Amino acid sequence: MTALHDSLPLANLPTWSTVLVLAPALAASCGSLLIGRASIARSWGLARAATGAMALAALMVTVLRMTRGSQANGVVRVDNVTVSVLGLICLVGAVVVRYSSVYLHGDPHERRYARRMLATLAAVSLVVVANNVLLLVAAWAVASVALHGLLTFFGDRPAAIAVAHKKFLLARCADACMLGATVAFGLTFSTLQIDLIVERALASPSLPAGARIGIFLVALAAVLKCAQLPFHGWLIQVMEAPTPVSALLHAGVVNLGGLVLLRFAPIVDRAVETRAVLVVIGVVTAVVASLVMTTRVSVKVALAWSTCAQMGFMLMQCGLGIWEMALLHLLAHSVYKAHAFLSAGNTVRQTQRMQLAVPPAIPEARSLLTGVGIAVALTSALAAAWTHVPGTAPLSAAAWTLLGVVALAVVPLTTPCRGRVRASSIARASIVPAAYLALHDLFGRVVPHADATPVGLLVFTAVGFTGLFVVQCAFMVSPQGRFASRMRPWIYAGLFLDEAFTRLAFSVSPPPAPKPREAALPHPLVVTANPTAHLPVATPAAPVAASSR
Amino acid sequence: MTTTTTADPSAIMRNAIDSACDRVAPTWPLDQFIAVNPYWGWRQMSIYDAAAHLGTLAGTALTMPRSWFRDEFAAGRLADHHLDAGAAVFGDPGLADAAREQLLGSHASNTPALTRLPLVTDIVDAVPGAGPLPGRTWADLVAHQIGQHCAGHFDQWQATWSPDLDHTLFDSWRTSLAITHGFGWQHGSRWARAQLDILPSAPAEAIAFVIHELGIGEAACEAYVTAVLASVNGWAAWCAYRRFQARLAGRDDGSIIDLLAIRLGWEWLLANDTADTGDNASTLTSLSAAWDTMAVVVDTTRQSQRVDWVLQSALERTYQDTVIDGLATLQPDAGTPEVQAVFCIDVRSEVFRRALEGTSGSVVTRGFAGFFGLPISYTPGGSALTRPQLPGLLAPALNVTDVGMDRRGHPVDVDRSGTLAERQRWDAFRHQPSSIFSFVETIGAWYAVKLVKASLPHRDQPSKWEDEGLRHPHNRIRPRLALIDDDPRAAAAHAHRVLTGMGMLDGFAPLVMLCGHGSRSANNPHAAGLDCGACGGQTGEVNARVLADLLNDVDVRRELGPLGVDVPESTWFMAALHTTTTDDVELFDADLAPDSHRQRIIELQRWLDIAGDAARAERACALGLGHALKSQRRLQRTIMKRANDWSQVRPEWGLAGNAAFIVAPRWRTRHLDLEGRCFLHDYDWSRDPDLAVLTLIMTAPMVVTNWINLQYNASTVDNGRFGSGNKVLHNVVGGNIGVFEGNGGDLRIGLPIQSLHDGQTLRHRPLRLSVFIEAPRAAIDAVIAAQPVVRDLVLNGWLHILRIEPSNGTVEERSNENWTVRQETRRDAR
Repeated sequence: MTALHDSLPLANLPTWSTVLVLAPALAASCGSLLIGRASIARSWGLARAATGAMALAALMVTVLRMTRGSQANGVVRVDNVTVSVLGLICLVGAVVVRYSSVYLHGDPHERRYARRMLATLAAVSLVVVANNVLLLVAAWAVASVALHGLLTFFGDRPAAIAVAHKKFLLARCADACMLGATVAFGLTFSTLQIDLIVERALASPSLPAGARIGIFLVALAAVLKCAQLPFHGWLIQVMEAPTPVSALLHAGVVNLGGLVLLRFAPIVDRAVETRAVLVVIGVVTAVVASLVMTTRVSVKVALAWSTCAQMGFMLMQCGLGIWEMALLHLLAHSVYKAHAFLSAGNTVRQTQRMQLAVPPAIPEARSLLTGVGIAVALTSALAAAWTHVPGTAPLSAAAWTLLGVVALAVVPLTTPCRGRVRASSIARASIVPAAYLALHDLFGRVVPHADATPVGLLVFTAVGFTGLFVVQCAFMVSPQGRFASRMRPWIYAGLFLDEAFTRLAFSVSPPPAPKPREAALPHPLVVTANPTAHLPVATPAAPVAASSR
Repeated sequence: MTTTTTADPSAIMRNAIDSACDRVAPTWPLDQFIAVNPYWGWRQMSIYDAAAHLGTLAGTALTMPRSWFRDEFAAGRLADHHLDAGAAVFGDPGLADAAREQLLGSHASNTPALTRLPLVTDIVDAVPGAGPLPGRTWADLVAHQIGQHCAGHFDQWQATWSPDLDHTLFDSWRTSLAITHGFGWQHGSRWARAQLDILPSAPAEAIAFVIHELGIGEAACEAYVTAVLASVNGWAAWCAYRRFQARLAGRDDGSIIDLLAIRLGWEWLLANDTADTGDNASTLTSLSAAWDTMAVVVDTTRQSQRVDWVLQSALERTYQDTVIDGLATLQPDAGTPEVQAVFCIDVRSEVFRRALEGTSGSVVTRGFAGFFGLPISYTPGGSALTRPQLPGLLAPALNVTDVGMDRRGHPVDVDRSGTLAERQRWDAFRHQPSSIFSFVETIGAWYAVKLVKASLPHRDQPSKWEDEGLRHPHNRIRPRLALIDDDPRAAAAHAHRVLTGMGMLDGFAPLVMLCGHGSRSANNPHAAGLDCGACGGQTGEVNARVLADLLNDVDVRRELGPLGVDVPESTWFMAALHTTTTDDVELFDADLAPDSHRQRIIELQRWLDIAGDAARAERACALGLGHALKSQRRLQRTIMKRANDWSQVRPEWGLAGNAAFIVAPRWRTRHLDLEGRCFLHDYDWSRDPDLAVLTLIMTAPMVVTNWINLQYNASTVDNGRFGSGNKVLHNVVGGNIGVFEGNGGDLRIGLPIQSLHDGQTLRHRPLRLSVFIEAPRAAIDAVIAAQPVVRDLVLNGWLHILRIEPSNGTVEERSNENWTVRQETRRDAR
């Protein structure tokens, strides 16, 4: 039996196993290459076979981890993070490819779509297993470029081109950050092997300046790639790509920033400025984006703002050093969001279901306070009881802070309705903190966490989420009140952050022109009469918008 | 008096606004997604004039490109000799040769480009580098901004933090931050704010102000505002829906005028923003100059489109031949039927009816509107929802709700408020900003299981959403009209009206099946569009069950006697639902049937199963399931899985292919394979002396079929404007209002591409509806003369009217007020 925990130093991974660990990426890339030669009829069969092979390979990697323990070599590593995220990618990949094979049927370019999707999956699986900074940087960049091909699948849509271009610019900035980090780590530790970098950083009494710069750049890259404010616009606007692309992006690509930080976790823990940046940007993004989400009018855009907020929360957890919850958040959010996107067509049915019930009354401040009281009491009682269960780890200050977030989260379940709280509601509400404590303990056993968190960061987090709760209560209790009605236009506009950023970015590098695409149905050819005498302009019949908030 | 009022500029303005708003056809929300003829507001104009106007003002075409007609000709679906008849409509025989040249000649040209008159957005966009951002046009951006503003205003179900609804659409726009802060105005955001303050606060005044400022002449004013409204066609249609509903309830709604004022406000802002750079003068000059040419451009367009219309009519006439040639001329001997089955007129019923008739000689089928003439709304038992169950043009007069019974048949309350409230709290936990993080961490992982489950094929029937939160099993709840118990005589009057409309006042078979229809698809925002349009985009289950219940009621039957209808005691009415996706038929309330009918019902179920197999086999190839045809069981399983598949964007073909509406006794067409392209309504003119039934058919079902037909046609010929684009990009707005294609932009109305095209070929070939009516000339003429709506549709060419002569089955067509025999076009006569 091997240790559950990924503890450094990692054992040496034999060379023959490298091939096995690379197998998911190889399966996906072979699939992508073969589709290039196959007929349309066979290409989806090939794609599905490739995801099947990926899943099989991931299963074998898991067996390797369970039998041989955490191992690494100069190229790849096998540990709990690898195994869990690889499993996630294979699950999401298989679901999304199967979904696409029906969904995209009949599109003139469905084969190209399948190729790019497998190429993205291959690159992402490489990011997950990489133990070499250079390999990591390269794979991450390839994933982004392959995804770019999916985001511009409808290359005739100016909006699709514009947003993909915006993402392209940001991703290249992130790549530059990562290359900078590679140089910094390489010069400081004379190695590019990630586990050795971490080991050597831990060995020195204080973190060398090169490592500080390197980890800061890594965090910056994560912020850029995780679509944090004010670089979030692209994530919100990529609804110009088919639904399964959104599912893949939100479940398997945008969260890689968290995975990369997890790789360097012990270094992050020792670099307080990096932690501060992650916590501040993460909390601000989580708070603002989740509020914007409540004002969104279309389902996919609301989901995208939610992802933006969730990524903020995950990066905040990285900054706080609660790595076990960051990993859980990454995994759970991915499957949740993939499902939410793929089933977004059910929105109308959901609305019909909602219409069956009498709309809830506007809650009173007093009942909300009662709800908070019950939720806090419930959560602390459960947490206190939990710490007395033999064999459980004590809860850190950071864990207690996040339990506060959980307590505020269950308030909707504990708020009295028509003056009373049902026992069944309380029972249901108690599931949430109980599940949280159990999962926290489980993931704490497989992923290490920071020994201590600076109090300032905890206070900042606590203030941020209490503030979020208060604002939320304010617009619930008094939706037409002065505070709510003044604040809403700004929140609805996403604080105009993306407008400003886009103007700046496009003044540096304007997006390319859209390309015509084969259309299933005819477009009437329309000429606008003589707008200015010398410039007759052909316009497409459909108005296409370029951005969304 | 008249002259003074029309000379009044404000009256001219008012008329222009009113007629521009009236041009816009409404769009229903997605949960009641019924078909709408998007050209409805133009029906008082001939279709040829309307097309010329729509082309000039909105840049939309009403016919397919000429290359498509060439393909149809090559495939033998367009007969050369019909071109002459098409040209005769315009009284210009030379057109036939011009059209022939398009099909055969070496001078075949592509469809000439439509000339659309410019708006300020077009003029500004034509200046290189003048866009609001690189790669973006003002036209797109304005459409997007207006879309976001309208969605924020009208959304009820998506956002949980909604704007202050005390303000009107126009008010909140004038104070909106998005306009002033969202763009780089040349003059800065302060300037934009000041400009908005200049704009009059009443929308009608703001419209007049902008028109005046832009220098649009009186002659072009109406056309210009129509064009402006057409540039935000989707939201205009939504506002038109709100107005339509308000007027149905005796109120009014002015949001469409607000929308017009907003769009004009943008025109004005953009014109002024270019002022200091010296472009303003040229902008306004080219705008008014372009609109001064309006009449000429419309006329040129009309002239050049005549060839397209000749091609279009020839195509339609070629199709009509296939029906005309097949009609039976002699009534076969009819035995006494064991089962009479009444189906909806829907084209999908035709396939199933033919299959059912093929199973047994003792089954007779009839066609009638699928809401069975019941003007009802329905409230699922114990719920807060009430929805219409009748065609969208009508207002419900009666409400139906579910009645619960326990095992012994005693009434029980249907209560689900507790369960629903619990679910509401759970939804709040899932969606509130401070909860989403913890929700994901504690519950999110469970979605891995849901992902896998949804990806695996499954054949079981999904539970009905209407049953959410019900503790009683579904079969103990029955919808019932309270009127039956309260006032049997009034209920009998309703029953009598329905039976008269159906033409079933005597000759009842022992078993009468009333079969509504619905569809089954998963994860489909446009699912309601596949359900029964006559039932307001719902399944026909409630209507069928309520009517069966009504006609089986002893008291009602007694009250029917004095009205001249004698329903034999041995007759039982059986409600049923035809699932058009899977061709299954479910029978309802069979447990209430008397024992004497048990055997008959079992037999009927067997016939229905056999018919289902035949209908599925017929539809399989169109669905790409030819490979599953070897075994009936396998085909059935495959179709079930397909209907439940969350990634399936083509669950069924709906009403694609619709081309004709046949109002005649069934025996005329019973032997024909109409390929699921015909609406079938039974009608016996000899039993309709006062033309009440014919009037009803021509004013109600015929209008509905026209709406369906032109929705499919418009979505095909210009999907960008009247269709909703690609399903893989659909993004539901406001929970049920409609969809965006992608991020945002205008609201998209009409049908998605995947409902019309299978990836290789068009599944709907746009043909105007050919309405065949078996009745004397005088009868049809009388209805046309008396009903303005029918007159508009017929005389203005929005559909074809053909008459089947009752005595010998010859067919005449009505053109230019005369009836001419079409018999010589028969294949054997050529």
